[in-house]
Order: sequence, then C-alpha cells, then structure tokens
Amino acid sequence: MNKKLLHKTSRAYLLFSLLILVVSAPIFYYGIQGLYIQEADDTLLLHKKEFILYSAPTIQLQDIPAWNRFNRNTKIENGTLVTKDSLFYGRHYDTLDAEVEPYRELYVPVNIQGKPFTYKARINLVETKDLLKHIGQLFLAITCLLLVGLYIITNRLSRKLWKPFYETLEQMESFEIDKHQPPNFSPTSIEEFNRLNRSIQQLIDKNILIYKSQREFIDNAAHELQTPLAVFQAKVDLLIQRPDLSEEQFEICSSLNENILRLTRLNRNLLLLSRLDNDSYADKENISLNDHLQKSLPFFVEQGRKKNIIIETSLEENLLVLANPALTEILVSNLLLNAIRHNVEDGTINISIKKNCLIISNTGLNYPLDKNSLFNRFYKADPSSQGTGLGLSIVKKIADLNNWTISYSFSNNNLHSFTINF
Amino acid sequence: MKLLLVEDETELAVSIQQYLTNNDFVCEWAKDTKAALERVSIYDYDCVLLDLMLPDGNGFDILKELKRQNKPEGIIIISAKEALETRLEGFNLGADDFLIKPFHLSELLVRVQALIRRKNFKGSNIVVHNEIEIDILSKTVSVHGKGIDITKKEIDLLLYLIGNANRVLSKAAIAEHLSGDMADMMDNHDFVYAHIKNLKKKLTDAGSYDYIKSVYGLGYKWIE
Repeated sequence: MNKKLLHKTSRAYLLFSLLILVVSAPIFYYGIQGLYIQEADDTLLLHKKEFILYSAPTIQLQDIPAWNRFNRNTKIENGTLVTKDSLFYGRHYDTLDAEVEPYRELYVPVNIQGKPFTYKARINLVETKDLLKHIGQLFLAITCLLLVGLYIITNRLSRKLWKPFYETLEQMESFEIDKHQPPNFSPTSIEEFNRLNRSIQQLIDKNILIYKSQREFIDNAAHELQTPLAVFQAKVDLLIQRPDLSEEQFEICSSLNENILRLTRLNRNLLLLSRLDNDSYADKENISLNDHLQKSLPFFVEQGRKKNIIIETSLEENLLVLANPALTEILVSNLLLNAIRHNVEDGTINISIKKNCLIISNTGLNYPLDKNSLFNRFYKADPSSQGTGLGLSIVKKIADLNNWTISYSFSNNNLHSFTINF
Repeated sequence: MKLLLVEDETELAVSIQQYLTNNDFVCEWAKDTKAALERVSIYDYDCVLLDLMLPDGNGFDILKELKRQNKPEGIIIISAKEALETRLEGFNLGADDFLIKPFHLSELLVRVQALIRRKNFKGSNIVVHNEIEIDILSKTVSVHGKGIDITKKEIDLLLYLIGNANRVLSKAAIAEHLSGDMADMMDNHDFVYAHIKNLKKKLTDAGSYDYIKSVYGLGYKWIE
C-alpha cells in the first residue's frame, strides 16, 4: 500500500520511541530497585557499624529488653542465629498498616559482655515500592511528553521541509500541456527542491515549446497546402471546359475533384484540431440541439439516400446546451456523417435525445470497434474508407472541451451507438 | 463589368482570370498590396477579389483603404485563412463575401454575379434568361411569364447553372455549391442528379427549352 512520505518518517520515529520505551521500562525499574536495595544495605551496614563501634561496648545486658522495646527496627536477640553478617529479604506483619510488608534485613552475630547475641536490623521496603511507583510514573510522564513533543516537532518540521515538494507536486498534477498556464514554482530555501523545480521547469518549457512548434507546424502545413490545392482545383475546373475532353479524361477529372475535396477536408480537420487545442472557441451560447438536428437533418437524409438509409428520430425533450455553436454543429455532424459513412445498404440510423444525452446509433459492421483507439487521430476501422480518420477525435476533443462525456457501445443487433452526456 | 483580382499566386490568378474573362467581365490582376492600391486609386471596379496573405502586406489593409476612400467596389475575400475570426474580421471591415480556398471557379463566378446584382439592385432583383425569369427576393421563378412551383434549392441551382452558362460544371462543384457550409461533410455527389432531374423536369414541363445537358453523366452544362 502506498503511504504518504510524512507518515513514513513519523512512523519510523514513533516505532523507535515505542521500542525504547518498552525496553527501557523494565531496565529502569530493576535498575532503580537494585540501587535502592543497595542503598538500604549500606544504611543497614552503617547502623551496624555504629552499633558495633558505639553501642555494643557500652550496652549492658539488662538494657537489652529496653533497647528492644524502644527500637522497632533494631533488635538484639539471644543466641547466635547466623555465623556472619547476612543480608536478606523478609516479610513482617506491620501493626500500623495492618498488613504484611516486605523488609530488608541484616543479622549480625555480636558479643555483648562476652555473651553471644544477634544484632537484627531491618528497613521497610514498602516506601521503596511507592517511590518506585512514583519514579515510574514520572518517568512515563516525561517520556510521553518527550515523545509527543518529538512527534509534533518532527511532523511540523518535515511538513515544513517537504512543503515546497508538495507544492511542486500539486502544480505538476494540475498542469496540462494544451492549457495556457505553465506552472510557476516559487523559490525555496532548500537547494534540492530548487534543483527539482528548475529541472521540472526546464522540462515543461521544452515540452511546451515542442508542443507549440508542432501545433504551428500543423497549422502552417495545412495553410500552406490550401494554396496549391486552390491552384489544383482551378486547373481541374479549367481543364473540364475543354471541348475535346473524352469521357475517360472527364472521369479522371471527376476523380481528381473527389480527391481535392478529400484533401481539403483533411486539411480543414487538421486546422480545426489544432485550433481546438488553441482554445479559440471560447464564446458560448445556449443552443437547442433539437433545433439544430431538425435543421441539418435534410442534408444528412440526402447523403444517406445513396445507401437507402432510414434515419429515425425520437427527440423526447428539448435539450439546451451551453456551448460554442460552431463546435456543437461539428460534433453532431461528424457523428451523423460517420453513421452514414459506415452504414450498410438499407441500414438505419437512430437519433434520440433523452435525459440530457444524445444517442446516435447505426447499423454497420457486425463486430464492435476498438474502444481504445476509436478516438485516436487517423484511426479507421476500414482503411479504405473515404473519411479522414479525424472525425471522431474532433468529436472527442469538442466533448472534452465542454466537459461532456462520450461513450461507445455495440449491441447484439449490430448496432453501434455513440452517447454524449451533456 | 470590371474586376480587380488581388492574388500573389500566379497560377491561381491566371486560372481565375481565364475563367472570369470569358464572360462579360474584364478581370485585371494585381500581384501585391502596392499594385492593388495603385490600381484602385486610379480606376473604379465593380468588384475586388482580395487575397489576404500577400507578399508585401495584409489584404485587410487594402480593404481598409477602400473603405476609407468610400469606394463603392464590392469586395469578395478569397483566402486560405478559414478561421471564423478572420471571416468575421473581414465582414466587420466591410467585405461582402468570403470564399475559402480551395474553391471552384464556377462558385467564384456566381458569387461575383450575385454581389454585382446586389450592388446594382434598384428596387427589384430579377434575373432574366430568355423565357425564364427569376425573382431573387421573392424566390419565385416563372417561365413564359407563368410561375412554377420550385424549391429554394432548385432556384439556387438554377442561378448557379445560368451564371455558369456554357461552362461544364462537375458534379463535385455543383454538390459543393448546394451543400454550402456543409460541403465539408459531404460524402457523395449523387444527390446532384436528383436535383438536376427535378429542375429539368419543372422547367421543360412549363414549356422552357431544355437548357441542361449532361456531360458524360459526370457533369452538367447550361447551353444558351
């Protein structure tokens, strides 16, 4: 799965922090506990030293019960319980708290006035536990604070660091070569991003330049072709005036005429395509598609007569579209012309308007057209066709310009349908 | 009738001259802006055929100059520039018609005739050809003074044929003329036959001479 850049860095930080927390918590706990026990042991041993040095030489046997009575944590007992100083853990019932509590204890064999005794000292460890708990809580709080702080800072920092990157990304995403807004990168304080922006800018500038020169080339080429075509046409028109022209020669002239028309059409379509890229059809007005269809239908009926094509219309509602009238006419005409051109003898064409869409379907080839290349320039299902191969790409372009969608479908009864959603 | 052709392409200019001069037209030719401006300042023309892209300037400059001098010439722009803006600019500057290259010479001829008719229009606009009379404004045709039932398209065709009398017209040229703006969309010229047949029948039924002759079934000719 794709993750965002910022998530990746902050996730790494977070994981590391969690790991440190998990690993350090027990180490910290046992470490502190060990230190505290050591501290308790030192205290016990110090008290013992004090006792041996100052109390043991002076204490009387009859003082021992009194000592024991007044010292809760240091007792002197008869007999030798241990042979040497021994430290250990013990548990005793605490009358104050009314519970059994853990203790650290020290037994030391001592001689008081020549008699063997055992010096018993202890330290309550309950406080240790409480202390540990508090230290732990404090530790946790500090760590959490640190983590949150760290997370926020890294997040902020990387967001700030990566901001120019995201801006560049956004500009690149909204960039379209055929629109007239080249991206404008604001300079950043980071060398790498500046480099990135510079190279993208160069790439885009170069592409725009190539795109422009290509468009100009098409435009110029098409224009340049018009003049020789005009000469060609004029010469053919003059040639057929000759009285000595045979039928065969006249046939050749007719065919020349056809091809001049084809060339002209190709030329005009190329110019139209390049002009569509130029966005020079900006002025829009409300057009009734129904009116337009009614108006141009006689022409297409006439064109379809050769193949005996029946054109049926079902214009359910009056469809008004806001668009450039010239382009809308071209769009509809191209679709209708295709429907006639690629039709079969005695075929039918259905034109219907319903629910904000125009559907033109026609009989034709008994297999579906290639949906992927259908709208490509110079795509022809039938290479020998008289068409320029530009009609549908013009249709597509016009639809795209107006944010209309065009779709093609093929149904079982050999019906090819083009649907435009306005 | 005097025409001035402003066109830098020699081959095209020669062909246009050849086709137009046959009629009652005199067609003079200027190759560039300078020559054209010189001529219009000296002579008066009925119609100027104006190319836009000229070696020493833009045809629009000539148009502007003509309008500035309040010259009465009718102006038809003949240009390869087919963009809508160019056409609109032309009309805004005062051009009367706009013909996009390539065009059929027969088309140019009828456009010139129509323009001159409009220019010389004095209350009525009627084309008379022997027994046939065409009233362009009311869109009616009469043969021997008797009106016949005729469609707009057939009147258009009739004017086109008469205008190009004694010339061979290819089916393609007729088809393009009849299709007008839709000529680009035209796929076959077969409908021409039907229109010609209908017109022929209507005229001869009304007692007119059968002027329309087929040329090898591929073209037609109006014989005077």
